[in-house]
Amino acid sequence: MNWFYSTLQAVLNGLLTGALYGLIAMGMALIFGVMRIVNFAHGAFLMLGMYATYVLFQSTGISPYYGFPLAGAALFVIGYATYLGLLRPIRGQVDFMVILLTMGLALIITDGVQLIFGADYHQISIPLLSKNIRLGSQISINAPWLVSFAIAAVLAVVLYFVVTHTMFGRAARAIAQNRYAAPLMGINVNQVQAISFGIGSAAAGIAGSLLLPVFYLFPEVGNQFKLKSFVMVVLGGMGSIQGAAIAGLVLGVVESLTSLYWGNEWALAVDFVIFILVLSLKPSGIFGSQRA
Amino acid sequence: MKRFYFLIPCAVVMIIAWAGCKGGSGGDSNTIRIGVVTSLTGSNAAFGQAHKNGYTIALEEINAKGGLLGKKVELDYYDDQSRPDQAVQGVSKLVDQDHVPIILGAYSSESTRAIVPVVTQKQIPLIIPTAVADNVMATGSAWVFRICAGSGSFATATLDFLKNNGNPKTLAIVSENTNFGQANNKSMTDASKAAGLDLVDAETYQASSPDYKSLLQRVKNKNPEAVYFASYLLDASTLMRQAEQVRLNPKYYTSAGTGFAAAEFPNSDKGAGKYAEYTFSVSQWLPSAKWKGSADFDQKFFKLTNTHPAYHAIEAYAALVVAAAAIDSAKTTQSQVVRDTLRQINLAETPFGPVKFDNTGQNAHPVLVTQVQGGQYKVVWPPDAAENKPILPTPEWSKRQ
Amino acid sequence: MKRWFFIGMGFFFLLALLVPLVVQSDYTLQILFRVFLFAALGLAWNLVGGYTGQLSLGHAAYFGVGAYSLALFSKAGVSPWVSVLLGMALAVLSAAVIGSVSFRLRGPYFALCTIAFAEVLRLTAKNLPNLTGGDVGVQVPLLFPYSSTKAFYISGVLLTLMVFALTAWIERSRFGYYLLAIREDQDAALAVGVNTSRYKLWILLISAALTAIGGALYASLFLFIVPDQVLAMEISTEIAIVAMLGGAGTLIGPLVGSITLETASEIFKTFFKEANLLIYGVLIVVVVLFLPEGIVGTIANKLRVFKTAPTAPFATPEPPDPEEEAQRAVISE
Repeated sequence: MNWFYSTLQAVLNGLLTGALYGLIAMGMALIFGVMRIVNFAHGAFLMLGMYATYVLFQSTGISPYYGFPLAGAALFVIGYATYLGLLRPIRGQVDFMVILLTMGLALIITDGVQLIFGADYHQISIPLLSKNIRLGSQISINAPWLVSFAIAAVLAVVLYFVVTHTMFGRAARAIAQNRYAAPLMGINVNQVQAISFGIGSAAAGIAGSLLLPVFYLFPEVGNQFKLKSFVMVVLGGMGSIQGAAIAGLVLGVVESLTSLYWGNEWALAVDFVIFILVLSLKPSGIFGSQRA
Repeated sequence: MKRFYFLIPCAVVMIIAWAGCKGGSGGDSNTIRIGVVTSLTGSNAAFGQAHKNGYTIALEEINAKGGLLGKKVELDYYDDQSRPDQAVQGVSKLVDQDHVPIILGAYSSESTRAIVPVVTQKQIPLIIPTAVADNVMATGSAWVFRICAGSGSFATATLDFLKNNGNPKTLAIVSENTNFGQANNKSMTDASKAAGLDLVDAETYQASSPDYKSLLQRVKNKNPEAVYFASYLLDASTLMRQAEQVRLNPKYYTSAGTGFAAAEFPNSDKGAGKYAEYTFSVSQWLPSAKWKGSADFDQKFFKLTNTHPAYHAIEAYAALVVAAAAIDSAKTTQSQVVRDTLRQINLAETPFGPVKFDNTGQNAHPVLVTQVQGGQYKVVWPPDAAENKPILPTPEWSKRQ
Repeated sequence: MKRWFFIGMGFFFLLALLVPLVVQSDYTLQILFRVFLFAALGLAWNLVGGYTGQLSLGHAAYFGVGAYSLALFSKAGVSPWVSVLLGMALAVLSAAVIGSVSFRLRGPYFALCTIAFAEVLRLTAKNLPNLTGGDVGVQVPLLFPYSSTKAFYISGVLLTLMVFALTAWIERSRFGYYLLAIREDQDAALAVGVNTSRYKLWILLISAALTAIGGALYASLFLFIVPDQVLAMEISTEIAIVAMLGGAGTLIGPLVGSITLETASEIFKTFFKEANLLIYGVLIVVVVLFLPEGIVGTIANKLRVFKTAPTAPFATPEPPDPEEEAQRAVISE
């Protein structure tokens, strides 16, 4: 029937969803690039950002689209503290112990939130939710997704700018290139790494905020995004922030098209198949010729 | 030194073995402990909590009336963490360690199906509150009793309604890829084939996805007259909201209850709000049900949790009420006798309606069809239970307010 | 001294086999079965993860293949124990595929790749209900002529004994030496002529076959399986955690880890109810922070036991060569 318009719509939906994915992935890419840490608590941080925004909305009525900086700030602090308190002491250990620690942390955060807030789902309702922008009779774009796309895009650009043009960004890239020469250049490695972890976590938290109006809230909400962000970071190339952002968009579109042509239940499997394909054919990622 | 390492595991094993020999007590002789397996943590925690609330209300009522057989009643919970293998472990603990006379639970169809063999083997009666998958009852075990209606009944009730209200010829099924979804998918597929409908599309989805628009577009492309959903509340809300965005306009939106029958579903803060309007759903219970004690239960639940109960809570409540009635009637806590009493039990009036198990252990719970009209659920089928007439045809999205 | 150790362990296993004479409670036996099952699985994982340094987070794939082979082949009429053997064969085949792709990667990339394979298997099983029963599930036959937790417990102990003996044998063989070399410095090993690809693959095949047996046993105990039960990432992480926290690369590490973690998990559930996962998470964090080489590894270090081969595998690595690291970090060949 209207396969052309269906496909176009699917691509558009995929781009909108992909922007959020990309934001989450950029956070993880920063962390991975600077510290080579695979953070299994990334999804839990996203969930914390969502809850923070939810509480803000319930108590003050501030919409997530204005309130997201709070989530970002909160997660920055949490990320910073997590790095200094938990991850730096075990930095010398093998990768898996670090992964294990982040897994344990994720359990603590998730179960802790469940104890405090209960396991029940929560949802918010803002007027923007029912507004749709229609282009012709075949294409519709749900307004909140467009707003979150815009915010995510702006943040992505800001993050890119920070990484490429600021002293901090230079320091971070220096550490990513050579962890042992960097301190010799006068870089306070611990500080920069902690800040990077903070920023990466903040990105996850903000993504959670933006997700809140169009989705719903429960302690385990972060799980699906965590695994997908691994896929995107690899796809985008080791530690490459812009790679991760683009990988996010690509993943969103691929999932949407898979849902359209094959079936929604296969989208996640396709994500992983792509992951495996990229790893076996071009392990440095699609955009991986440059380093972070 | 290394030779002493083996002492570590030896010691630990011996401690456990000793603890195992000691066994647990079956509660002291002044209390009766009833076993409950439910999901207090994990992905089904929200429903496990609903169960717990329902059980709590029933427990208070029972103890307020003096308990059972002159003793106070306690509930022995085991958290299956939303995992079937943990549910099985739970049954072992409750029976072997805590010596409970009867078990209620689990929550999900997966966990419940998993514990059917073990309760049969250990010869302890099981009352199932909420698991609707047909395979749960398929083994025909003489120890298993189910309070709620199963997915087969949902399908036939819906088809019955459709046949008598416009008789559509084409159907699409949208279900999540879990036991609940697949079971309802299968039931409706079989039933619709038997009824002579043309199943033009069957979509499954990964639950908790943010974006179902492509899926709904696929359904739209097949142009079914009726769509049948098997979804939980959050996906139901997402699906209906996105159905509007995609402009999916079948003549009938029907569903296998659960999400589409949840108390919050027509609510705009917590559910689909205005997008829920005109949807049909099978229903096992509403706070407005005419059974004695329904409104009472609704009030108590609201007082306890500040929300209105969905059917999970009342089913748990009913399961405990029935268990208590059986023990009371049997005048003993011996599992075999309790089970035999359950087979004969005939409760004409509970807040969940009459309870009587047939020879397969299934309670013939009536299945109604409701429609969301003006933000409220109204029973529209069968005619003798209907409060209102169904509003048909379903208005197209662009023509609604 | 080594002889004492093995005599001691023999005594331990003998005791373990005699436990069912004393313990009658089905519940306790089930817990003990779980302890020994995960000890066996942990030991099998340890071959790849501990001794060879390849940290797989996708072992649930082999576990699930074993479980589903038992279920589906039996459904097709094959006798249960033959189905188990077929399961082992299929697991070996899967390991060959997974290994050939994943072993070209290093570190976290390898781990993520194994996760991806296991997830693809899980989702495939879930989304093809006509083939695998999907989430509605599939029946699993009884491996023993009667349904008895005792029989399963004994088989769990025997499986653990088998994997334990195999690990001990490998540890002292040349093959084992090659594996350690791969773990310590894969490029150096390659440089002196060790065929790293071949040995990594072989040990994965062995590990997969053993894991598949565990999967079949587990499935038979529950008589009924769904993908989220036997192919879930939770299984992969539980196996890996048991080995890592007990002490990867040590012989009794996984055994100690399993005993500790499985009993702790059960105790937490009883005492902490809804908070049990939180406490479990705290336990993991505490062990990682304070017992970085696992329980056995740390004890071994503290007691400064002389070892012919390093059993505590993960001492602080030397600074990697920065220029090559970026390239090597992803690919290994």
